[in-house]
Amino acid sequence: MRVGDIAAGRAGDKGDVLDLTLVARDELAYNMLLGALTADSVQRMLNQVVPGPVMRYELPRLQALKFVMPEALQGGVYASLRPGLHWQKAAIWLLLDLRIDPIDLALSWQSNLSQGGALS
Amino acid sequence: MGKIVKPICRIGSGAGFAGDRIDPAVALAASGEVDAIALECLAERTLVPAIKARLESPEAGADPRLRRRLRPLLPVAVQTKCKIISNLGAANPIAAGGAISALGKELNIKGLRVAAIEGDDVTSQSQVIDWKRPLKGRLLGAHAYLGCSQMAEALEEGADVVVTGRVADSALFAAPVRVRMQNDQQAFAGALTVGHLLECGGQLTGGNFDPVGGPLPGNPLTASDFAALGYPIAHVYADGTADIMTLTGAAAVIDSMTCALQLLYEVHDPTYYATPDLVLDFSAVVFEQIGRNCVRMQGAQTSGPPPTIKVAGFVEQPGYIADCEIGFVGTGALFRAQLAADALRLRLSAWPDDDIAIDLVGVNSILRAGASPEGNHTELRVHVSARCPDMEAAQQIEDEVYALTLSGPAGGCSVRSERRNRIEVIDGYISADLIRTSTHWSSS
Repeated sequence: MRVGDIAAGRAGDKGDVLDLTLVARDELAYNMLLGALTADSVQRMLNQVVPGPVMRYELPRLQALKFVMPEALQGGVYASLRPGLHWQKAAIWLLLDLRIDPIDLALSWQSNLSQGGALS
Repeated sequence: MGKIVKPICRIGSGAGFAGDRIDPAVALAASGEVDAIALECLAERTLVPAIKARLESPEAGADPRLRRRLRPLLPVAVQTKCKIISNLGAANPIAAGGAISALGKELNIKGLRVAAIEGDDVTSQSQVIDWKRPLKGRLLGAHAYLGCSQMAEALEEGADVVVTGRVADSALFAAPVRVRMQNDQQAFAGALTVGHLLECGGQLTGGNFDPVGGPLPGNPLTASDFAALGYPIAHVYADGTADIMTLTGAAAVIDSMTCALQLLYEVHDPTYYATPDLVLDFSAVVFEQIGRNCVRMQGAQTSGPPPTIKVAGFVEQPGYIADCEIGFVGTGALFRAQLAADALRLRLSAWPDDDIAIDLVGVNSILRAGASPEGNHTELRVHVSARCPDMEAAQQIEDEVYALTLSGPAGGCSVRSERRNRIEVIDGYISADLIRTSTHWSSS
């Protein structure tokens, strides 16, 4: 199951800071995300793409989780070596395309990261 | 809630960034269903060229799209008595105020009162700003995020148009609400939260939104919906509760999901969202669907004003980022593109790994290791971006990409190239009592 099958998301940025929001479709989905997407597990995944720690904020009334990475975008929009500007708008797919095992709430990435990245 | 009958203010969102569509604001004004429209037109990215323009010419520095945006909007807004509030002033609000009055004259609008608010430029006080990290390079400018009070005063004194430079986006939308509100901090927190919801225009009404499990064939918005997306309106009540909607019949998705995503967008600690007026706490906010594309927001709270005001500093470092691409197509495109990428890295071996990125657009250029390489690639582009100390080095990057068309793997094509200045945005904080604002009036 993809995270995107049970939640919608959006990425934002301010200066160096990348923020990722997930809103679960219902309470069950929220509780699953709460169990699977710990700050540690998300950081292990995201650090393969962007540096620095992850802080998680819980919003039970909105059934939403926020993941904030204060050091992810060093130097901000203009300093990026990605093509064009504002690549970080797409960063939410790093979370939406994570796979959750609904039984043990373990995470995995959809791509072939275990083989050393997309190209090798 | 049952006692609430009438909103104190109906505020529309006319634009969510400098290059946003022109027509949504015109549609809102023409409807007569809003008392005011705020247009958020100033990002970090757009303030930098404005600052540079003003450094070259003291008359310049307002948003270059100002006339194109306001020419169709002013006449209808005047007709429906809809106030306009915008940060189109960019790095020169006074020049923007003059330009708007001049435009009013051209359009034969009599007695349009324009208030231009300045004071956000705190570049001369950079020594007393508490910067998040040391400023390395040339400080182009430092702009503080102003709050509602000056804008609200101008509206109270009869301004038809209020134009500013850097203000908190949420304040642009909350100012016309503040004018009609009692002195109630929790209600004001609601108005500012509405401002935060509305500041990105179509992003509240179904733009940049995939529903859960989407996109599916049943995706709520069609191409023609996206092409004519309705922009948001908020009916704000005296207690800070608000109903979020758009014009009747306009294409949109407004539900608790789109509202929650926008509430939390670019917010860090949701219990401590510092605006220049108040620190907002979103943890008790709830959204309730009360009609089709109509959601009631309540529960915004505040712990009071922030201790300091945020400043954005823009520092220019020498050199450029060169950003170039070359395409490969047909059978074996992935193989040839990867060969070209590897050859390019060998040619550019003088660049340390930290200052260069070479990857494949269509495979891994955006999410890097997070990308999924599945699928047949009939077209791909090799991309290189590199930090370059000067123009000559940037030219070298571009030349090496072009040279692949003759000396690289077969079929390198459709080369494109751009160069960007190296601007760093650094946050800082300044004490509110060091900021001096003033209002300059003009009229048509």
